[in-house]
Amino acid sequence: MATEQSVDLVDDETVGWFTKAVLIAALTAALAQISIPLPGPLPPFSLQPFGMFFAGLVLGPLWGGVALLLYLLVGIAGVPVFSNGSAGLGYVIAGEGTGGFLIGFLVGAVVAGAIAHRSTTPRPVADLSVPVQVAALVASVAVVYAIGVPWLSMVTGLSLVRAATVNAPFVPLDLVKLGIAIAIVEGGYLSGR
Amino acid sequence: MLSYRPGSTFAHRLDPRSKLLVQFGLAIAAVAHPTPLWLVGTTAFALGTLAAARLSPLAVLRSYRVVLAVLALAPLIAGIALGPPWFRVEPALRSALYVGRILPVLFVSAAYLTSTPVRDTRAAVQRLIPGKPGQILGVGMALVVRLFPLVLADVREVRDAIHARGGETRPLWERARLLAVRSLERTLDRSDRLSVALRARCFAWNPTLPPLSFERRDYPVLAVGVALALSPLIPV
Repeated sequence: MATEQSVDLVDDETVGWFTKAVLIAALTAALAQISIPLPGPLPPFSLQPFGMFFAGLVLGPLWGGVALLLYLLVGIAGVPVFSNGSAGLGYVIAGEGTGGFLIGFLVGAVVAGAIAHRSTTPRPVADLSVPVQVAALVASVAVVYAIGVPWLSMVTGLSLVRAATVNAPFVPLDLVKLGIAIAIVEGGYLSGR
Repeated sequence: MLSYRPGSTFAHRLDPRSKLLVQFGLAIAAVAHPTPLWLVGTTAFALGTLAAARLSPLAVLRSYRVVLAVLALAPLIAGIALGPPWFRVEPALRSALYVGRILPVLFVSAAYLTSTPVRDTRAAVQRLIPGKPGQILGVGMALVVRLFPLVLADVREVRDAIHARGGETRPLWERARLLAVRSLERTLDRSDRLSVALRARCFAWNPTLPPLSFERRDYPVLAVGVALALSPLIPV
């Protein structure tokens, strides 16, 4: 009968990667709302890049990309998931001069996953060698700046050099975050996953 | 911040797919030609979309005030010159024109998100992207929306627990590491439970979708979206 349609179940392995991608998207959104206040005139220490780091290392290029894409889509749909509870396509494009960085996180997670796993099917983090994971993390941060700086220049009409200068004060903080992520990898904190 | 408001304005009654297309089309159109006349045109169009959603432009400006304040710095930075005359007007004006192009994009995205419930966007994504990728992204969006408050509460709990144990006295890198690792552990535990729950409920590739109705009034809006997206091809 034409009205009958058989149920096409999602296989168990796919369900597992899918729910991890969903939860890491939610974690990226949560970390964007949390920051550790720093003394003096320094900007607050945001943990948002860790969403990208974890997506790439734990989920690989395909599901890591899905996680960050879900994060962006939910924000475009109007849920206040970007930093300071912002939302909307306008924020993805402009941000606080940081629009390109959101797209950079998406591409960065895919690049980190591709370097770490070298396949669309993720392997357990314990099977990945530490230098490869560190290379993946460094590459993801490089990608974020490679997209974020020209994007800022495009949105604001600043020259590339000026856009890079404006971003320069954030580089040391991002290097600290990179260092913490490397310490997490080297400490074996992700190896159970 | 702006969020969905129930209503029956023209924008509310449109299909989310035609609204999404107009939104992306305008984002392309806004950056297509950096001339003052084009900026006036796209801004007028964006104000029209705000009127269609019965949304005050002032409310939008207020909700995006931090974004606008940061963007307003760009022309100042662009104008600074190392040496006399110290401030050059021409690059500052050019930068102001570039930043001005963002305003209509913010207006249109505000009109979209106040007139479209999140589940409509989810349904639109699921229908626009064919096959399994559309399913994954559609169901994924719905689950992220549901789980975001829980994960945020988890992360806050972890942060409070670190504080309660004298976390402020620890070095920054150690606090950040603890917060990131513990939050990830809790999140992945939730993922395991969600995965069991989805399998127990026969999570399938072919469930029944919420109904969307593409009506006669949507076709002109669809045409406008296509025209905006193709506007970079028009010589100005």
